[in-house]
Amino acid sequence: MKLSFSAEDEQFRQEVATWLQQNLTGEFAKLRFRGGPGDEHMYPEERKRWEQKLAEGGWTCIGWPTEYGGRGCSIEQQVIFNEEYARAGAPGHVGHIGEGLAGPTIIAFGSEEQKQKYLPGIVAGTELWCQGYSEPGAGSDLANVKTRARFDEEKGKWIINGQKVWTSLAHESDYIFVIARTDPDSVAHKGLGFFLMKMDQPGIDVRGIEQITGTCEFNEVFFDDAECDAGDIVGAPGDGWKVAMGLLGFERGVSTLGQQMQFQNELNQVIEIARRNGAAKNPAIRQRLAKAHTELKIMRYNSMRMLSGQGGSDGSLQKEALIYKLFWATWHRTMGELAMDVLGPESQVLEGGPYELSRLQAMYLFVRSDTIYGGTNEIQKNIIAERGLGMPKEPRVAAK
Amino acid sequence: MDFTFTEDQLLFRDSVKDFLQGEVTAETVRNLWDTESGRSDALWQQMVELGLTAMLVPEAYGGLGMNELDFVLLAVESGRVALPEPLVETAMVATPLLASLAQKDPRCASLLEKIATGEARVAVQHSVNALVADAHIADWLLLPQGDQIHLLARDQVSLIAQDSVDPSRKLFDVEWQGSDETCLARGAEGVALLAATLNRGALGAAAQLVGLAEAMVQISVQYTTDRQQFGKAIGTNQALKHHMADCAVKSEFAKAPLYRAAYTLATRPEHADFAVSHAKVVAGEAALLAAKNSIQSHGAMGYTWECDLHIWMKRAWALDKFWGHAGFHKNRLHHWLLKPTAKIGADKTFGEQG
Repeated sequence: MKLSFSAEDEQFRQEVATWLQQNLTGEFAKLRFRGGPGDEHMYPEERKRWEQKLAEGGWTCIGWPTEYGGRGCSIEQQVIFNEEYARAGAPGHVGHIGEGLAGPTIIAFGSEEQKQKYLPGIVAGTELWCQGYSEPGAGSDLANVKTRARFDEEKGKWIINGQKVWTSLAHESDYIFVIARTDPDSVAHKGLGFFLMKMDQPGIDVRGIEQITGTCEFNEVFFDDAECDAGDIVGAPGDGWKVAMGLLGFERGVSTLGQQMQFQNELNQVIEIARRNGAAKNPAIRQRLAKAHTELKIMRYNSMRMLSGQGGSDGSLQKEALIYKLFWATWHRTMGELAMDVLGPESQVLEGGPYELSRLQAMYLFVRSDTIYGGTNEIQKNIIAERGLGMPKEPRVAAK
Repeated sequence: MDFTFTEDQLLFRDSVKDFLQGEVTAETVRNLWDTESGRSDALWQQMVELGLTAMLVPEAYGGLGMNELDFVLLAVESGRVALPEPLVETAMVATPLLASLAQKDPRCASLLEKIATGEARVAVQHSVNALVADAHIADWLLLPQGDQIHLLARDQVSLIAQDSVDPSRKLFDVEWQGSDETCLARGAEGVALLAATLNRGALGAAAQLVGLAEAMVQISVQYTTDRQQFGKAIGTNQALKHHMADCAVKSEFAKAPLYRAAYTLATRPEHADFAVSHAKVVAGEAALLAAKNSIQSHGAMGYTWECDLHIWMKRAWALDKFWGHAGFHKNRLHHWLLKPTAKIGADKTFGEQG
């Protein structure tokens, strides 16, 4: 165990810090500390340009292998990059679904053609991705996919029909990855395919879902004879579930670091306010700030343990990976409550009309979704109990 | 950057775990309740032979020259079996204190040699605890008075037993009279050594609490898997699954702060307050929740003396209050965090005090 960075890594830190200092200026200065969770609808155009700016500096996809346009950074360097990125207040990545999910999935499971077709746009920050998993009838029961994919021999394309829902940033995205049923007679996780699709086509219709924040980050995506090239299915028809689950593994990897850094910025902002308005003298608030801080530390320690390579060497990390979603979602929800209590009566007053929420108000409302999307807390607890602790499974109703 | 244990550390942990699980069963613990001292000399000698008491004794005094990071996983295993013997207190709390003084004080040096060979056991008093654990079987006692630390033999003090809720705990009021002769350290040195002692004590308690928490969850998962009601295992019910999942979250996520605290104590002990208090708070929460949800999951059985669960529950309740209760450690955390000079930025996870 050695919990410090090498001199070489510290030099890398300097390089990142300097680049950010020199480039997060001008038109990008207003993006500082923006675009995080609950704020993703802000400045989409500027943030897209920022993504390309990052790409020019070689700061997108830094953990990808160099052969795919990445920087081949070590885990330590990725940690450092994320730390410095957050410290500089650089904005939420619009390209994070491509960089963190679609790209790694294509690298792991995709064809050579798919790699050449899609990876450069992700690296360049010019092509944004969204994730087509959930459906109206497939929430917690994700495998209950009804969206269908049929191969049209004449056109030589896959034809997709159905609906996805809760698709973050679909309205800003160029591509979507979709799980759809390739075998109409199949049930549950069998007979699914994993498709890479262009958003800008007549068969795809995106409608925003207005949230309790009054903004639209999530969308419904309708597929009405939408087309997907024959070469754009990842793996074979029927492999969809395997690919989708592989992708979820990437979600728990390095991409958690960026999220934690955003959390740290939010917490620091709340601590600043508490110091300023006197809430930091209140013993009950002090305890809660300390709890929030220490729990965030736990998340970061655990990420470091998971990323330390040897992974799971004390026999417990697999369980920790199962626990992570429940932990961070609950943490963030509690953080929202704490922010409002620190603000006190001020928390109830809008910034302006119509329905203009302050950053922290938006966060407080947004965190209500954290404990629901990506597997509700209740589902997470079932998974921890059954897969982590080996408790007996609930008898299931047989699939029809 | 490497947040993992070495192969050697894990292998040694595994062999000590096997040994403890073989030798210290619920039956062993219950049998010791009926003995006068509540302790087993034979078991102690076995632990000495495994080198456990010598681990943190410097090599110059016949020990293995290891540190808290090498020992922390063994302390977890001591908790897992609810070990009644004061292994953690002797090996990880008293020993490093004596080692800090051994160069200038031959009494400490010779005592360290005896700890390594199993000829001596040492009990430690600290102001946060009031009572001294296992003073009755200690050959020597380390006793603070203000900024002074004294070393007295057991026949130089008088002990008044205070029976504990946990029948395995042996607690004592110690009455004693120190002198210049018995004083090992004083002033700033004494204060610093006592602060470090508190941190090691809290780390040892935290480690045992994590082991206790995991053991209780394991016992309860087994029980709810075996116990049938309405024609199915009660563990199929989400209400019980969620009780156990909540415990798993607490205990799994107490480990990283625990390991972090052990690392900091071993490498930069003067900066370990925050990390240690963090570990103690979360380990205590994990063990208390495991106790609460375990007895609930056992239904009426868990409330009986016959059911072994209370061996672990009562130890958890005891250690949560030992070496600083939750309030004490939470106060240290928020005082640190809300200092104007606190280093809390996104780049400070593994920095000083982080």
